[in-house]
Amino acid sequence: MEEEPMSVVFQVGANGVGLLDPGSETNNVEKGAKVDLPFWLAHDLYLRQATSINVPACFNQKTRKEIQADAACVDLRMRCPYFYELGCKTVPLVGDKSIGSFLLQAFSSRYKEVLSKSHSTPTTTASKFLPRLTKEETQLFEAAQSSMASFKKWRVGGSRLEKASILGKKRKTTLPIDPPSP
Amino acid sequence: MAGQSDPHLSIFSAPEVEFLAEDEVIEIVPNIRMESLHMICGDFGPFFPQIAAKVPLWLAVALKRRGKCAIRVPEWMSVERLTQALEAERESPREFQTLPFHYVEISRLLFDHAHDDIPDEYMVRSLIEDIRDVRFHKVETGLESISGRTHAVKLKNLSAMEVNIVRPFIIRTLQAFYKHDSPQMIQQPEATGNRRSQVADRGPRRDLRPR
Repeated sequence: MEEEPMSVVFQVGANGVGLLDPGSETNNVEKGAKVDLPFWLAHDLYLRQATSINVPACFNQKTRKEIQADAACVDLRMRCPYFYELGCKTVPLVGDKSIGSFLLQAFSSRYKEVLSKSHSTPTTTASKFLPRLTKEETQLFEAAQSSMASFKKWRVGGSRLEKASILGKKRKTTLPIDPPSP
Repeated sequence: MAGQSDPHLSIFSAPEVEFLAEDEVIEIVPNIRMESLHMICGDFGPFFPQIAAKVPLWLAVALKRRGKCAIRVPEWMSVERLTQALEAERESPREFQTLPFHYVEISRLLFDHAHDDIPDEYMVRSLIEDIRDVRFHKVETGLESISGRTHAVKLKNLSAMEVNIVRPFIIRTLQAFYKHDSPQMIQQPEATGNRRSQVADRGPRRDLRPR
């Protein structure tokens, strides 16, 4: 998640870091230059007041309109796989205070879709819907799927007795002559 | 609790829930004569042929597998009672009927080990399946109402296995909602009515869903 690109504006000129800005002709980043940096770097530079952070594209008005229209159909994974996590970390860094409530709104409306699909749908039919989910939603979905799957497995039967993991191991030789076993 | 297979999500696996269910007491009719059994969990017996005795399910299953007893199917597992329960489940879309906490596990153990003791086995089996489906559907509809202001979900009369199935999902959902609805995330530019000021003091309030 920390690798997600953030668009930042340098508030100060920086010497010797030209590689951060692909468009720069010298080895420096000028004051006011707009550069994409990974989140961790953007965050750190922001704390040192070297940069200001723009609201990431996945929280723009277009996405908000789409979420309002039909939240479940929006492909958030394509916009940003760590949509919610990035949102939570962005809130204290940017001036836009509406991101928080937008995240909540997006999550609550998409949550219903995840809920209705997760326990009852077989994995094969879920494949159309799964690629649209962000990481957090996918985890939710998989938690439900795996608990349902393990219940079904239990219900149809199978071996009741499981071998404890410790029983399968070979006994370690303790003789000092032997080479230490891994 | 000790012995859980996955401590992070605090879930039991289905066989672990079944293991817990084996402590439920059930009636058996032995066909042998046997001294009392002194177990850590208590003393059972002495057993006399054709005289009913109460034992934990694990002991009942063990005796049954050796052909030493017949298991008396519990009251609630009769076709009549289950039909009633199914009807009641269907009629009340917001409430769960009172069934034994371990009804899913007990019924499966009995189907596996004592199916010859169950009258109308197929009927009972399909009734229990139907009841479970209806109840699970109710759980799902109930979960739809979780929102940012839900602090607890009340699911009265839900059984052990049913809780266990939805547990990972509910935990993650509540965590996500808690995170997204925290006061740090929803910052107020100015006062926008009393709904927001409620959000700020989250402490003692509990939003229990009437179900």
